[in-house]
Amino acid sequence: MSFTLNGKSHDIPPDWADEPLLFLLRDHFGLTGAKFGCGVGICGACTIIMDGLATRACTTRAGEVDGRSVRTIEGLAEGDVLHPVQQAWLDHGVPQCGYCQAGQIMAAVALLEQVRDPSTDDIDAAMDGNLCRCGTYTRIRAAVLSAAERT
Amino acid sequence: MLRRAFLTAAAGGLLVLIGAGAGVLNQVPVIPKRPNPDTETALGWITHRDGRFTLTLPRAEMGQNIATALKQVACTELEADWDVVNVVLHATDMSRVKATVGSESVMLFAEPLAQACAALRDALAAGQAAGEVSVTSRPLADLRSLRVGGLIGASPELTQGREIVTGLPLYAADTRLPGMLYGCVLRAPASVEVQSGPLRWNVEAVRGVPGFVAVVEDCGPPIGKAHGLGIVAARPGALEAIAEALDIEWSIAGPHARSDIARAVDVDARLSDSALPHVVLDGAPEDGAWDVDLRVDIPIAAHGPIEPRAAVASMQDGALRVWAGTQDAFYIRDFLADAFGLSAKTVTVQSCRIGGAFGGKTICTVEAEAAALTLATARPVKVQWTRAQEYALGFHRPPSSHRIKARVAQGRITDWDHAQMSSHIMFTAAVVPSWMQRGTDMFAGDGGVARGMAAPYVLGRARAAYDMVRLPVHTGPWRGLGAGPNALAIECAIDEAARMAGVDPLAFRLAHVADPLLAGVLERVGEIAKWGSAPAPVDGLRLGRGIACGTYKDTSHAAAVADVAVDRQGRVRVSRMWCVHDCGLVINPDQVRAQCEGNLVWSLGMVLTDDLPTDAGHVTAQTFADAPIPRMTDVPAITVDLIQSDRPPQGAGETAMVAGPGAIANAIRAATGRRPARFPVRAKDLAT
Repeated sequence: MSFTLNGKSHDIPPDWADEPLLFLLRDHFGLTGAKFGCGVGICGACTIIMDGLATRACTTRAGEVDGRSVRTIEGLAEGDVLHPVQQAWLDHGVPQCGYCQAGQIMAAVALLEQVRDPSTDDIDAAMDGNLCRCGTYTRIRAAVLSAAERT
Repeated sequence: MLRRAFLTAAAGGLLVLIGAGAGVLNQVPVIPKRPNPDTETALGWITHRDGRFTLTLPRAEMGQNIATALKQVACTELEADWDVVNVVLHATDMSRVKATVGSESVMLFAEPLAQACAALRDALAAGQAAGEVSVTSRPLADLRSLRVGGLIGASPELTQGREIVTGLPLYAADTRLPGMLYGCVLRAPASVEVQSGPLRWNVEAVRGVPGFVAVVEDCGPPIGKAHGLGIVAARPGALEAIAEALDIEWSIAGPHARSDIARAVDVDARLSDSALPHVVLDGAPEDGAWDVDLRVDIPIAAHGPIEPRAAVASMQDGALRVWAGTQDAFYIRDFLADAFGLSAKTVTVQSCRIGGAFGGKTICTVEAEAAALTLATARPVKVQWTRAQEYALGFHRPPSSHRIKARVAQGRITDWDHAQMSSHIMFTAAVVPSWMQRGTDMFAGDGGVARGMAAPYVLGRARAAYDMVRLPVHTGPWRGLGAGPNALAIECAIDEAARMAGVDPLAFRLAHVADPLLAGVLERVGEIAKWGSAPAPVDGLRLGRGIACGTYKDTSHAAAVADVAVDRQGRVRVSRMWCVHDCGLVINPDQVRAQCEGNLVWSLGMVLTDDLPTDAGHVTAQTFADAPIPRMTDVPAITVDLIQSDRPPQGAGETAMVAGPGAIANAIRAATGRRPARFPVRAKDLAT
């Protein structure tokens, strides 16, 4: 079994095939950007992009990504140049604790790849499944809008 | 499930725990030491080498972005460029610093840091190249970082912001060590205040589970009275399968005497018994009929940080090292040393960025589990709680039940009586055993429950008193402690009193406020929200606007206005919020604004969502679906206006909690004609 992770092909070790994709990423590959928040796909802290769609890594079995393409937050920037969504997050001072933000950013990136010029309703609908207890929602909304202008 | 006395089954386990010196009943617990910072200690936070500075952050970083604000102070006082000061989070190998609680990080730490940095700057200028610097406190006016200018009052890029948006490891659970295993301590599905522990389990069945490493009986101190059984795996996902295969039979004593929590804190039942012992306002209201007589009930609520608490522990060469997302690394160190019979010198706790704490990550739980499992397996072990463990084993905002009465004459409140029944916040059952709590109850009351009970108004003959009862669910500090619930109850009553008096609620508040700073934020929020103008009607919706204000810990002030729309089914949508905030000198306006925004979202949660379900004295919530928090579609546009002043900086992390909830509740009252008094509000109570 193998999959594409941030543009490079990797094997999925057989003993990890039944683990959640989140743990394969975090604990086997050491990509700790995606976070464990709830384990049942409710909070969105583990959001990654699989074949172009925002996907919950905690409820996706590692073996399910065989042959697919997975992108994580670690693969967004090109060298020191941040992805426009990452830059917008810094410009708007979005993160408080920051724990949910990798998932928020990946959900926003997936949205902007589907909808180039989203309305605030589009943003609210696409991002409603990504919870933030610090309450950074108004800044997330503003950051997605300004990233849309830049992309 | 077998329910019987626990003692026989637990005897072996208890002996082992006594041998390890752990959490034994009737032993005095480790109490957090919380020294205020001074200039001498502050010298240990800042070092210089080869033109670069390292600021060892004396606070936990949990989203208040204090790393950024204190770096602004340090750079300003050092006259150093932003890029030559590197901020690192502290470990316990430095001098003890106070727990990160109570919105004190700028209020108490900015000046000592500024003094230390000024001394270092002068020593470098005088040619000192090595060794320790001595510091003599200089007048505040000589400090450059305690007045607006340059970086002070600016909002540079967040420290650790780039790491967050690129996904670099910052949090305890991101720690990876060679040979690291994954652990979990299983505990009975029961109240943490009744004795429980594992009775029998199927060790044969787990041997076949892929990834299984060990079952650990000696798995650290109990949480409350809940003794556990540890499991360790080679991969984190295996833990669930191991737990299932173990099929543990639990011994659970009980039921708890106060398993009906709502009844245990029913203020009217309590008042019918005797007077409340803890007095906050000692006026003597006159007997007679009351114009306002409100009962307000606010339930248990979880903190709900997106990060379930986590720790990684490793024992090497007789030294225990723990990576933790904690508000008090030094307390964790002291607790672990005591629990495992180690010298404090051999235990080091490294603070990691915390994925949300809100008062809930102040005690030692998951860290002791990780330590016990690493001691048992001689391998590094990571433990991260599940969401269900967060609910079942953490402590929560206590429920509170309020009876508030007011009498009004000639547009003024002449008499006031606020009675509150709650559970402990400061002397929480999560740390303080009941025998000791009886003493603190008698001699100290509970300043957390009392916080904010002295309303910031001139109220004539005013009485306020409270009592606490130990509950089967652990309670403790939650953003603002008692201030949020107390202010919500008070602001509802003030609003009703204004109605009785026939006076506009903003004008009514101004007439009762003595503090000009509080009057200032009230007047200002009225201006920016255009108070007095009515929103345009919308077919099928009942619209309303509410206002509230308050003072947090005597020195920070906030006022808020909220607009709501309530549909025929009684569903409430907050459609707009404004807040004006005065916390003295603002070091970083953007992040103080962010704290206000966060508090307003929490305010929305207090009124519309926060409720942790329990049954027969134990928490039944398993996921966010059972204990929802506000989401993107719940949150309206928010305008925050900061008063920038030359007053010394005060706290900002909790202040707006005293204004936001009342503004929303009062807006619902204005929209529907019904006074919400049971929180979170239920649609069925507001439906037409």
